Amino acid sequence: MADTSTSHNQSPPGPIEVRFRGGGFAPRSRRWVGVVVFVVLIALIQWGTQTGWISPLTLPKPSDVLATFGELWESGLLFKHLQPSLTRLVVGAALGASAGIAVGVLIGLFSHVRAGLVPLVAAIFPIPKIALLPLFVIWFGIDEGSKYALIAFGTFTPTVVATYGAVDNVDRSLIRMGQSFGLSWFSIVRKIVLPGAMPGILSGLRISLAIAIILLVAAEMLGAEYGIGAYILEAGALYDLERLFAGVVILSLLGVILSGVIGVIERRLLGWRT
Amino acid sequence: MVTFNRRQTLGLIGAAAASSLAAPAIAKNRKVVVGALRFTSHSGSFIALERGYFDDAGLDVELKFFQAAQPMAVAIASGDVDYAVTAMSGGLISLADKGAIKVIGGALSEEKGIDGQKILASDAAFKAGLTAPSELDGKTYGMSTAGSSFHYMGSKVAQAEGVEVKFKPLQKVGAIIGALKSGQIDAWSIVPHIAKPLAGSGAVHIIGNISDYLPGYQVTTVFTSAKNASDERDQTKDFLAGFGKGVSDYNSTMIDKVGGDDGVNAMVDLIHKYVYTNRPREKAAPSIINGTMRINDGAKLNIASIRDQLEWFQSEDLVGKDITLDTVVDGSYVETYEG
Amino acid sequence: MDIRLESISHRYGDTEVLRDISLDIPTGQIVCLVGPSGCGKSTLLRLIGGLERPSEGRVLQLGSSPVGCLNPLTFVFQDFALLPWRSVKGNISLVLEDHGIRGAKAKATIEDVLARTKLSDFANALPKQLSGGMKQRVAIARALAVNPAVMLMDEPLSALDSQTRELLMDDLVSLWSRQPFTAVYVTHNLAEAVRLGHTIVVLSRRPGEIREVVTIDTPIQDRSAGDPVCQRKHDLLWELMREEARAADEELIDG
Repeated sequence: MADTSTSHNQSPPGPIEVRFRGGGFAPRSRRWVGVVVFVVLIALIQWGTQTGWISPLTLPKPSDVLATFGELWESGLLFKHLQPSLTRLVVGAALGASAGIAVGVLIGLFSHVRAGLVPLVAAIFPIPKIALLPLFVIWFGIDEGSKYALIAFGTFTPTVVATYGAVDNVDRSLIRMGQSFGLSWFSIVRKIVLPGAMPGILSGLRISLAIAIILLVAAEMLGAEYGIGAYILEAGALYDLERLFAGVVILSLLGVILSGVIGVIERRLLGWRT
Repeated sequence: MVTFNRRQTLGLIGAAAASSLAAPAIAKNRKVVVGALRFTSHSGSFIALERGYFDDAGLDVELKFFQAAQPMAVAIASGDVDYAVTAMSGGLISLADKGAIKVIGGALSEEKGIDGQKILASDAAFKAGLTAPSELDGKTYGMSTAGSSFHYMGSKVAQAEGVEVKFKPLQKVGAIIGALKSGQIDAWSIVPHIAKPLAGSGAVHIIGNISDYLPGYQVTTVFTSAKNASDERDQTKDFLAGFGKGVSDYNSTMIDKVGGDDGVNAMVDLIHKYVYTNRPREKAAPSIINGTMRINDGAKLNIASIRDQLEWFQSEDLVGKDITLDTVVDGSYVETYEG
Repeated sequence: MDIRLESISHRYGDTEVLRDISLDIPTGQIVCLVGPSGCGKSTLLRLIGGLERPSEGRVLQLGSSPVGCLNPLTFVFQDFALLPWRSVKGNISLVLEDHGIRGAKAKATIEDVLARTKLSDFANALPKQLSGGMKQRVAIARALAVNPAVMLMDEPLSALDSQTRELLMDDLVSLWSRQPFTAVYVTHNLAEAVRLGHTIVVLSRRPGEIREVVTIDTPIQDRSAGDPVCQRKHDLLWELMREEARAADEELIDG
């Protein structure tokens, strides 16, 4: 109360509007910003390469990359490269992800399996799968077998980790509820554990599938005549930047499409989330 | 070329003396980075460095080692390396087309009658009847990447025999060897110092010589950045002079045996500092001696072979059709010939 | 069907949670378990429901379950425990599916329990669309669907605000008056206990022992907030519990 006397000397301050200090920290959907960033970047590169400010050794002209892409499309080579790559991706990722989910669920449900497999998974997770490619060639043959195996192996471990983490995170009270209503073990797993773990499994799949695309290039290092990865590697060896970038763009598009597909699945399956 | 003739006629000491006489004309100790692989075929650079031929030429050379030819070519293009020796490849031509590099001389070449690259068959394929290159039809052929020298060789052999082979890109020599040993691929071609020990182990079989199909094949070339080739002519000449001396020491000692066994032993000691360093000397020596191949004296360049390679790369759509020989080669530094 | 507890004791490791509890839960009555927090009342409920095994003593079922009973001992949880990915209808059918009840028979049961809990209009709603009170009514409907012999209610109203709690208590009262059910009702709220309990069992602080068993004879449909009998019972219970509650409150966790 001491300062009431001092404030008497000055005229009392007029009403001051409270300063706004909230806001921010709440990401909102601004999809067009991403598009603008892309367009500006590509325009800048086009201008730079056109004027010679960027040497042809540094970056290819975006228009030339587009032309290369057009040639790929017209000659039908695009599908000749895409078809084996997509097959490898689908088969490899399907094998890896389904095995990963199965093992992850088993680890999540059984203490013995957990004790036995978690250290093993932790041990194989950091192995660069590419390093094992020569070994896979011996085990599974130089043709499709080793490629499926590499992609499957690469997607397996992150799926396992994501899945058992997701199973661990399933609300225990729901499981207790299932038990209290006398549901069978199998019913509890199928109707409570699996749907409850689905958000975690799907976000794990997002990462696993991106890894599958990365490994596609690695898988096509050995003995692949056709395939997007083989195409990129060949372009790199020939220092053909237009083809290299065309290939990389295809991989990026593949990534965006896969992520979109998972997004759609998430919206369909996980509409119940608040 | 004058330097070439002189080096041929002068002895070792004489050459060193001659260049040290010429040295004062050039600024001393210009820093130059030379790229190399740890192969005996790069001995020219090792000898020139160890025996001071680069110093004599007024160059302060630093060797930079690479695992493969491809990154070395990129390092030249980026200016991290000034000179290097590597096999002709689609990548090299592509970089030349982008105005980044120039071929300025020749190194390893095939010559009929001299031990050169071997065509290999896996044991399984050999037992199934792949005993000669004419049996290659429908077989798989190993290569590092499309547009590599392996691709060129295999394709040329197949063309000559009128057969179709399937190429398997395996990126690395180690991977190709593994695939060949385990029978994942049927055939391959490689320099003798790798081919012979492989065949000796019984896991693969030598079924032919590349020189029978590509006589005079210019396997590796000396190359530099386009900037060095056009703007640093003196330095480039000096490098070639030093490198050339190293090469002629190598040829005279290892092939012509001018210095007898002692000379060979001394040379093996020198090369062993750079090649097979992880093996003891007695184990490295046979490999080094086995790997002996003639390197072009004076870095002369077989322009006919380069032309043939360029045309083949173009016919396979691996490099642009509009690339001319002059874009790739600067023939003003060394003697060129049509072999 | 009656439930009898025979000198139940329970320990978690070295911590004794319950000591020598013997109690009868007669058919058609609501037995409330009250006590300070941490006295083991929820543990006792889980022991009765078979979700945990007592260290000593037995829980006995006396007599047979009513006809059509799918799950004699049925829980209603404080946090509702609804599957968020199933609709109201789906959550109820979950507990029927495993007993082989599907199709028309399941539909009839679901419609019946939804009508009894006044949820018929929300059959297809997802839990995230419902308020807390609605969610608990779904949980109660789900419990009713299996036609339980005994309902084991673990602080069913504690997660709700006081107005909703009042409404749901009214709902429970009218449910019981239409069709009396047996229930063990755990709560720390004395108002709920005097409103719903035929018998109120007061537990002491840990280790939980039965301190007092209070019976209220006023029929539960006749009780109201200002009822003097209920108020006296409430005060009596509070006298019994005050010291225990204070001591329990001052105890160190894990201390």
